[in-house]
Amino acid sequence: MNEMKKSPQPIDKPVKMIGVPMPLVDGPEKVSGKADYTADYIPHDHYVGRIFRSPVAHAEIVKVDVSKALALDGVYSVVTGDDCDEGFGVLPIARYEYPLARGKVRYRGEPVAAVAARDVETAQKALDLIDFHYNELPAYFTAAEAMEPGAALIHEDRPGNLEREVDYDLGEVDENMVAADLVMERTYNCAEICQVQTEPHAAVAEYDAERGEMTVRASTQVPFYVHLMLAKTLKMDQSRIRVIKPYIGGGFGCRTECLNVELIAALLARKAEGTVRLVVSREETFITHRGRPETDVRVKIGMKKDGTILAVDCTATQRGGAYGGYGIVTILYAGSLINGIYKFDHARYKGLRVLTNTPPPGAMRGHGTVDVRYGFESLLDEMAGELGLDPFEVRRKNLLKAPTTTINDLLINSYGLGECLDWIEKESGWKKRLAKMGPKNRDKDGKLRGLGLGCAHYPCGASKPVNWTGEPHATVNLKLDWDGNITLLTGAPEIGQGSSTVITQCAAETLGLDMSRFRVHTGDSKLVPKDNGAYSSRITYMVGNAAIQAAENLKNVLIEAAARKLDAKPEDIECLGEVYRAASQDKGLSFQEVVMAALEGTGTITVKGNFDTLPESHGTKKYRGGAVGGSMAYAYAAEVVEVCIDPDTAEVTVERVWAAQDVGRALNPLSVEGQIQGSVWMGMGQAFCEGTRFHNGLPITGNMLDYRVPSIVESPPIETHIVESVDPHGPFGAKEAGETSLAAFIPAYVNAIANALGVRPIDLPVTPDRLMELIEKQETDARVAAAQEEEEMA
Amino acid sequence: MEFMPDFKLHRPATAAEAAKLRADTEDALFVAGGTDMLVNVRRGIEQPKALIDVTAIDDIKSIAEDEDGLHIGAGVTLRDLATNELVQRDYPAVAQAARAVAGPTHQDYGTVGGNLCLDTRCLFYNQSEWWRQSNDYCLKERGEICHVAPGGKRCFAAFSGDVAPAMLVYDAEIDILGANGELRRQPLTELYRNDGLNHLTLEPGDLVTAVHLPKSLAEQPSAYEKARIRGSIDFPLAGAAVRLVMDGGKVANIKIALTGVNPYPQVVKGADTAIGKPLDEDALDALRENVRKQAKPMRTTTVAPWYRRRVVGALARRLTAQLAG
Amino acid sequence: MTDTDHRTIVSCSVNGRRRDDVVPDNMLLVDYLREHIGLTGTKIGCDGGECGCCTVLVDGRPRHACLTLAAVCNGTDIETIEALDRSGRLNALQRGFNEKLGAQCGFCTPGMIMAAEGLLRDNPDPTEDDIRQGLAANICRCTGYVKIIEAVQFAAAELKNEKTGAAA
Repeated sequence: MNEMKKSPQPIDKPVKMIGVPMPLVDGPEKVSGKADYTADYIPHDHYVGRIFRSPVAHAEIVKVDVSKALALDGVYSVVTGDDCDEGFGVLPIARYEYPLARGKVRYRGEPVAAVAARDVETAQKALDLIDFHYNELPAYFTAAEAMEPGAALIHEDRPGNLEREVDYDLGEVDENMVAADLVMERTYNCAEICQVQTEPHAAVAEYDAERGEMTVRASTQVPFYVHLMLAKTLKMDQSRIRVIKPYIGGGFGCRTECLNVELIAALLARKAEGTVRLVVSREETFITHRGRPETDVRVKIGMKKDGTILAVDCTATQRGGAYGGYGIVTILYAGSLINGIYKFDHARYKGLRVLTNTPPPGAMRGHGTVDVRYGFESLLDEMAGELGLDPFEVRRKNLLKAPTTTINDLLINSYGLGECLDWIEKESGWKKRLAKMGPKNRDKDGKLRGLGLGCAHYPCGASKPVNWTGEPHATVNLKLDWDGNITLLTGAPEIGQGSSTVITQCAAETLGLDMSRFRVHTGDSKLVPKDNGAYSSRITYMVGNAAIQAAENLKNVLIEAAARKLDAKPEDIECLGEVYRAASQDKGLSFQEVVMAALEGTGTITVKGNFDTLPESHGTKKYRGGAVGGSMAYAYAAEVVEVCIDPDTAEVTVERVWAAQDVGRALNPLSVEGQIQGSVWMGMGQAFCEGTRFHNGLPITGNMLDYRVPSIVESPPIETHIVESVDPHGPFGAKEAGETSLAAFIPAYVNAIANALGVRPIDLPVTPDRLMELIEKQETDARVAAAQEEEEMA
Repeated sequence: MEFMPDFKLHRPATAAEAAKLRADTEDALFVAGGTDMLVNVRRGIEQPKALIDVTAIDDIKSIAEDEDGLHIGAGVTLRDLATNELVQRDYPAVAQAARAVAGPTHQDYGTVGGNLCLDTRCLFYNQSEWWRQSNDYCLKERGEICHVAPGGKRCFAAFSGDVAPAMLVYDAEIDILGANGELRRQPLTELYRNDGLNHLTLEPGDLVTAVHLPKSLAEQPSAYEKARIRGSIDFPLAGAAVRLVMDGGKVANIKIALTGVNPYPQVVKGADTAIGKPLDEDALDALRENVRKQAKPMRTTTVAPWYRRRVVGALARRLTAQLAG
Repeated sequence: MTDTDHRTIVSCSVNGRRRDDVVPDNMLLVDYLREHIGLTGTKIGCDGGECGCCTVLVDGRPRHACLTLAAVCNGTDIETIEALDRSGRLNALQRGFNEKLGAQCGFCTPGMIMAAEGLLRDNPDPTEDDIRQGLAANICRCTGYVKIIEAVQFAAAELKNEKTGAAA
């Protein structure tokens, strides 16, 4: 049996709330089925929303005839592109997507119309009655096709179907390529990836016709952006809108921008003057997309014999889908984050974000950096092999020394990559075991084994927000009332990453109190301070710092109250969490006594804490878009992956993973481990089986059978290690924990396969058919070589 | 609320009643566990006016042994099949195949009959109504063309059941209850035809009620393995079952059956040429090549057909070598 | 609306409470639980049988509520995630998932816990491999499964302790 939860007891030292493994503050709700996600709101009087989606990939809309649907009994509203002429989008410069298509449809599955009806059968019947007339246009499903000269324009104002071209050329790349002892270049194709968060998208929009107010519950990582876009697309005053973020079933970036789902639900609700519940299917969630774009990464590296990187030249071409979304940021990140992990002074990058007739990608976990990092780390290994160097040595040769600034002005104030490398090298037994692997060392079943290394890094929040308003990056409110409970109000969206827990830990640690004194509230725009959202690993760093500041402010209020009560000077008051005392005194005041003293004359106390980024962390002005990538800190990860390959079936088993990440400081080691493991594993999915496929723009992999998210059976044990470099600006020294380790897995995995087989896969994912092709080619080549040798001998 | 087509549900208590209902009811389909059928109903691939649920029929849910062999009711769940000691001991490939179906939860309520009668699969077919409609449907359902082999008049959707090949290597027979109330027994091979569009030879009203595995082959060594990307949930990209008896270092009896690589579960022809010979590397290679020749996977999955053909040969070879010891 | 003829009376037990309901023949168990009864702990994560989020116990065994017709549950005993902490306290599995961080976003958790509950009832002392095999129909996108395995191991150990404790 559980013991009764104790109420806070006066103890004479502050409670340690960080660096201690903590279950999630909302864990009990999640494990008992009490946690309500958006689709769990089923108001008795709601209408069922459903979307009519384009059957074609690219067409001019001639007419969307909804008259028969509207005439159907039980249909309360029907909306089309005519109902909303305001574009939406996360970037102020790329808001040209509409909740429902206007003028043209640009990908198969794009919303064309939507209905709200009394039940799902009626809604479906209404969709079947919609007549969609269109003239088909040429459609392009790859970046290469869309860039062909003479290709029809997907958007009139995007010549060449280019969403954005990024160029930088820093230092003297060509000269240093010439000076290098070894120059190698490869192009890697990386498949498009979907988040496949377990909760499909959902929105419940409630229009109060009496007051002219709109309340929207939505499965989103960015309630504030949803709020903005609701106001824009509905042309409503933002004060009349309320956005509620219930429990969220994961995001990984697919909900990092406002989606058409919540806007359509609101348009339907306003027109129906009621409540519309729009819960889309898994297939529709795939179509809504916003995953990692298919990317062709060309990397060229010039290296000295000893492994020193002299120059880097990289191109990334992304299939950007039919609308901008975060696209410009993605292609900028891909270039910016070439830097910040190793030392080199000469780098060139060209990024092409291309519009295509496929669903729009977005900002998936490891935004922008993952595919480029894969190519880079893969090529590093190949070059190490050419030069006869150990993969660890090549990385160590190029480590940064913090504090430093990269050629594109990324500020590196803390850097624990070296320690990460040391740990995984030792724990994996790399030095001893590597020699026993590879093609010459098949085990008794004929299987091949290999070890591989990969590294990665990731920022802790974008220092310059996409919507620049001059407000601080983060604000936390604390409310302390007579009952001695502290209510922590934050807009930071808890989406399963544990942000509410870590923010509470920061405040509790600062006050020396147990977390049971706190109650955290998030996700209601009418209650909590505005927050930009859960993305780019910004919350721990930014909101954590704001929570510390808020708690410091509260502590000062309490210290002053204690000083008044104890007739002492504030600077003489010692805060021990549950006890405040003057330095000389023994007993002091209990927390409750201090609270009552503090409330005297003022009543309920509310304090605020803010966080803002340093201007020098805002990236570079050396090229257009150089602010993207600028962050207050960067986390680092290194991984060793051990694989076992069955040459008969080309099946790869990941036997073990050793993952070390420099998280600055682990505020909640349990959560940090969980984040690292989840990242490593998500990287594994991308490396070995995930990827979208289309048939003339129709998503073949729009279900969880054909889009294969790894099951528990083939998922490996993951040994994690936390490195604490203690960042000078992070909350208690913390950096991000939830994205960095994803990108390191992929090259580590491919490098392990290359080690095992003696040949190197290039494109992702490394499916068994691709690997079999490689194995057979290797066998054929060996036979040909042997035959030639024989011939020459004769 | 999930969208579901409207249908009448019947839950007969006897097989006879079920067969009669099916024959008497317009546009009716049998459903057992529903792990595949209800997915197809939800997607509008099947739009029956009536579903006849056979899970209330108690006398097709048992496994019994007599001197003729093992008699397995069609309503036995895959879990019960996989964990049955007699099946594990006497017909190991069958237990292995049952354990290889989808995931454990599917095995818990998916049935033997359902897995044997599983619809063929294709990436142009197992999609939503919106998807198939946007793609003008296909030869197998409402459409005119096959997207796998445009211009062709055949459907190449692949049979993807795991249990059938394992039962085929044991020369399984099945009982079919006809609409007229007559029970007939036939070899399991005759349940199938090489046509992805219509791969079952059943007449309307026919209900598969039992499978018989012969005593004469009991305890003969066998094994089943499937190639799949994930260790669970996936249908077989290719699967092979092998039954092998060695005698004095030579093959005394061998049978191989495949799944996932043709529109029907297929017994490999010519495997018996190995009989009377030792299983050396050359013999195993020949066996592998023979399997590959007869496997004709098409572009019905996201994984390349040539790989499925390569791998099914490799699996058959490996299982044979392992069984030879 | 479904044809009035297409309805069935279902008498079953849901989380220990006897119920008699008239349900449309085409109603899925998951909709019966979520929308008819209001037990929204059971989740829908895919379009049919691919993710395991809707796993409930029917007569003690795991089953996809999204591929089961409510009407065929007549006479059965149905248990959902809401049944496990009936006394107001988390049970051993729920404690394991909470304390070991087997749940991050929590959306797969009800189905995962019900699958694990089915596993532990059948096999109270599972090996790591048994756990992997037992939860193989349930997809989690957050944890990489490492802490889910630890959560189930924790629960198995707790249950063992409870048993030996009770015997002593």
